[in-house]
Amino acid sequence: MKVLVTVKRVIDYNVKVRVKSDNSGVDLSNVKMAMNPFCEIAVEEAIRLKEAGIATEVVVVSLGVKACQEQLRTALALGADRAILVETEQELESLNVAKLLAKIIEEEQPGMVILGKQAIDTDNNQTGQMLAALTGMAQGTFASKIEVQGDKALVTREVDGGLQTIELSMPIIATTDLRLNEPRYASLPNIMKAKRKPLVVKTPEELGVSIKEHTKLIAVTPPPERKGGIKVANVAELVEKLKNEAKVI
Amino acid sequence: MSILVIAEHDNESLKSATLNTVTAALAIGADVSVLVAGSQCQSVAEAVAKISGVTTVLVADNAAYEHQLAENMLPLIVELAAGKTHLLAPATTSGKNIMPGVAALLDVAQISEIIRVESVDVFERPIYAGNAIAKVQSLDAVKVLTVRTTAFDEAAQEGSASIEVVASVCDAGKSRFVSEQVAESERPELTSAKIIISGGRGMGNGENFKILEAVADKLGAAVGASRAAVDAGFVSNDMQVGQTGKIVAPDLYIAVGISGAIQHLAGMKDSKVIVAINKDEEAPIFSIADYGLVADLFEAVPELTELL
Amino acid sequence: MSVYQHPYKDVDFVIRHLLEFDAFCQDKGLDEVNADFANVVLSEAAKFAAKNLVEQNQQGDIHPAKLVDGKVVETPGFGEAYRNFVEQGWPSLSAAEEFGGQGLPNLLSVAANEIWQSANMAFALCPMLGQSAIAALENHGSEQLKAQYLEKLISGQWTGTMNLTESAAGTDLAAIKTRAVADEGHYKIFGQKIFITWGDHQMAENIVHLVLARLPDAPAGVKGISLFVVPKYLLDESGNPGIENDVRCLSLEHKMGIHGSPTCVMSYGDNEGAIGYLVGEPHCGLRYMFSMMNHARQGVGVQGLGISERAFQGALEYAAQRVQGSDKSGNSIRIIQFGDVRRMLLMMKSGTEAIRALCYFTGFEDDKKAAATSEQQPAIAAKVAFLTPIVKGWSTELAQELVSLAMQVYGGAGYIEEAGVAQHVRDARILPIYEGTTGIQALDLTLRKTLFDKAAQATLFIEDVQRTVDELDSLDGAGDLQSALSSALDDARAALVWLAKNPQQADSIAANNLQLWGYLLGGWLMAKSSIAAQQQLDQGAGDSEYLNAKKVTCQFYSEHFLVRTKACIASIEAGSDAIMSLSEQQFFSHVN
Repeated sequence: MKVLVTVKRVIDYNVKVRVKSDNSGVDLSNVKMAMNPFCEIAVEEAIRLKEAGIATEVVVVSLGVKACQEQLRTALALGADRAILVETEQELESLNVAKLLAKIIEEEQPGMVILGKQAIDTDNNQTGQMLAALTGMAQGTFASKIEVQGDKALVTREVDGGLQTIELSMPIIATTDLRLNEPRYASLPNIMKAKRKPLVVKTPEELGVSIKEHTKLIAVTPPPERKGGIKVANVAELVEKLKNEAKVI
Repeated sequence: MSILVIAEHDNESLKSATLNTVTAALAIGADVSVLVAGSQCQSVAEAVAKISGVTTVLVADNAAYEHQLAENMLPLIVELAAGKTHLLAPATTSGKNIMPGVAALLDVAQISEIIRVESVDVFERPIYAGNAIAKVQSLDAVKVLTVRTTAFDEAAQEGSASIEVVASVCDAGKSRFVSEQVAESERPELTSAKIIISGGRGMGNGENFKILEAVADKLGAAVGASRAAVDAGFVSNDMQVGQTGKIVAPDLYIAVGISGAIQHLAGMKDSKVIVAINKDEEAPIFSIADYGLVADLFEAVPELTELL
Repeated sequence: MSVYQHPYKDVDFVIRHLLEFDAFCQDKGLDEVNADFANVVLSEAAKFAAKNLVEQNQQGDIHPAKLVDGKVVETPGFGEAYRNFVEQGWPSLSAAEEFGGQGLPNLLSVAANEIWQSANMAFALCPMLGQSAIAALENHGSEQLKAQYLEKLISGQWTGTMNLTESAAGTDLAAIKTRAVADEGHYKIFGQKIFITWGDHQMAENIVHLVLARLPDAPAGVKGISLFVVPKYLLDESGNPGIENDVRCLSLEHKMGIHGSPTCVMSYGDNEGAIGYLVGEPHCGLRYMFSMMNHARQGVGVQGLGISERAFQGALEYAAQRVQGSDKSGNSIRIIQFGDVRRMLLMMKSGTEAIRALCYFTGFEDDKKAAATSEQQPAIAAKVAFLTPIVKGWSTELAQELVSLAMQVYGGAGYIEEAGVAQHVRDARILPIYEGTTGIQALDLTLRKTLFDKAAQATLFIEDVQRTVDELDSLDGAGDLQSALSSALDDARAALVWLAKNPQQADSIAANNLQLWGYLLGGWLMAKSSIAAQQQLDQGAGDSEYLNAKKVTCQFYSEHFLVRTKACIASIEAGSDAIMSLSEQQFFSHVN
């Protein structure tokens, strides 16, 4: 079975986000970029499936600017077999990403597609679900466990209030939640091997997808700042304030 | 404006998230219908009919909808979307699971987790884990939205909407519900708890989280943790509050032994009231806390349990 | 707890723009190795360090290694970190591919070592010494010894130690007393070695000790010392660790710092004699040791770099948060706003960046040497030989000042252990001492590398620096930097003139000579950095905030460090009159 994994290049989660003074967006110039944490989990899951003998090939895909190659290289160093970059300078909304991925799926015919449940920049949490709708594949979102059993997959999902297990007919689309696994680091020998793994660059035009704008970003502003309050002297005063001033207990 | 809200429920009772979502819908326009898709969910439909401002309740009652599996829900909602201008669902795991697919089939975008309605097509939503707020205009004919429930009040329940039955049934046959494992804790879950008490690296070890649980039991609170505490192996990842964990906005958030790293603040700073207990006077958490207590947590927390 | 983030932007700048690594890689036809690839490797190394080493650093300080029933038990958590380190392949980074190494350029090894040393100096000493043991066997061992030991040392499965010092033989290794006696195809070793870093531990399956000892027929002095491999466990027929050798750790030192690194008194041959195998030829041990010395001493320079960077980051974060006082409108002031705190932070920033430039520059020369023709190699070797005592002596001395400034930024809080900076100050203090004290480095530079060389190499560097001075002509607004560098270069020229006239006073002025060269070459590389930064800015490439900060940092360096050559030359020209004029009794005359 071939497994397709997607990775997104996002601002490193340790970097403090700064909103541009003209409110046109977030300042991304020269900040540290990294693989989206949920995508790291997706890559890890695919590699584990390969190590378990369930997957035969892991193909990693990223969409965006040329520099996304860095994240693809990282995924290759982690153990993916080959990489595809859909290169474009255009901003890609989730629906556009899903349409491009649907084309890649048409070409690659994977048995499973694993995506991060959301990217920590736009926080959309959409692409996997959209891709499932467009391809007609069954979806297991927010997965904390994926078990392949022949032509079925059991996916345990992190839902509000607990865990839900569903059975899906293959091929499937899964999106990862935090507990699915703990991603590994790339080992030095694997980083070396990754140098020679193939990375193919495609364009939206080649895939026959025109990028359409569905939303317009009007402004990006910093969140209302929260002011520090007061220091209380002791626990008794704290309880008194919570009861009588804040009225929350 | 013709708005359809997807109700969240467990076939027996309506989840309060639906009430917040209806409030968001009413901020867009007055014609609000609510879809209750489920199995033997008549009691839910009746509850929805009482939500103030709802005109029509659409009930699709069939075994295929019992667990609201995306594969079965999508064709139903797409069918009902005809003539609608807005489709809304709460940004719960259920709403997030279904709505993007609906949007894709309608060839429109979804705008996720809106926190404010500016006009019929302009909405605000947090990005970068709440470190920035984006104002977004939809250019599509149909607007598909999920609603961050903590940003909208619950709608009143003094209405009397009509209930209509939806006949169409879709079972895509690609997915099947197997089992559900409801969190064993007697305590509320993090994302819906009104009060949360969280521990950080200052807790020292996992065993010490017991003193937080004692407070939580008194207050009916959920127990959370910072990433530092999770990384140190004190507690499991599902307790993590923060940018890569759960994003919460309870009425009261008590941070114990948490210094206040950016990732953590991103996950809880929308809480209505924040209390910080930390022995380090300089901890950044104090800069956002409404009530700060500089104290040894191992003395202060048991005392808190006593006084509650 | 002190923080650490990999300073990836500065590292990338040095590798990509100061050293022009890509041009080298292209020229030498390296397979897909370039500055981008270096970034991939180093960012993974940084992730590894963040997870496995950074926080464990304080554990090493609080819970030193212990001697339990004759065995050294390392700091809790170090064993797991070490096994992960090996599993991820990090020890093999620049080792020969023939023995399972990755064969990457030494420059990448230096850059990775900076990360390990910043993250956890006590831990990182173990693989650092392993690298020396590997080099000893690679360069001088028989085919059989290589086959038996190299692969496992390179993989990190086994660790290596260096056994030179004895209680009466420190700087003067000629006084070594440990004996080696031929015995059925191998040797039996008898004697005691002290200050053996990571001499015993439970992290690896075997420990390979490289031991200096004297054969019975050995000539007296330094020409009678041989080098032996003495494994902790003798190898069985299939090459795996078998029975225990007659080697043990007698005791552990109680040290001022690097508590996580066990410093052992090692006893060889308490019973029947420790079995050892001769490395290379008899009586050549010291020569072999010296051939590795350059590498080991550069490694200590990188330790100075690593700990300076770590201490700086902690101080920086503290200064940006610590509130003291308020301004006229009542807004509270964070101490980073105060001029003197900014001065201290810039001392740390510019000092650390200059050390980084010098360490990486020197490490990269090794790669150039390896890739050069045999006719070119001696010239590069001479360059490295000249730079090595400066890298070791100057970097580690400056590191003392920088970590101390870091503590100063914290004020009283820094003197309290919890802040974490106290550990860095204590840990750093060993650096100008081991692997040859600063005094030894100064003598090496001044006598062997300058006087005995008739200042040939020194003159070449003076020409290099002069070229940069000339180049600064075309850089707008670099007038001050140019005159500072030019003036410091004049001081170096003056020092050479003075030394040529007064060679008999060399040992009294050596320390100042070393410092003069350190500040000068640091300033030279900072000036080159400033030029490279401006080129990037002119092309509209790169991160302008970083590049402009780099230029300011270079300017600050010239104003606060480069000017120190003035004090050095003044002391040098004062000569040894005062230094040598006191009688020994006069030293005691204030108390006797």
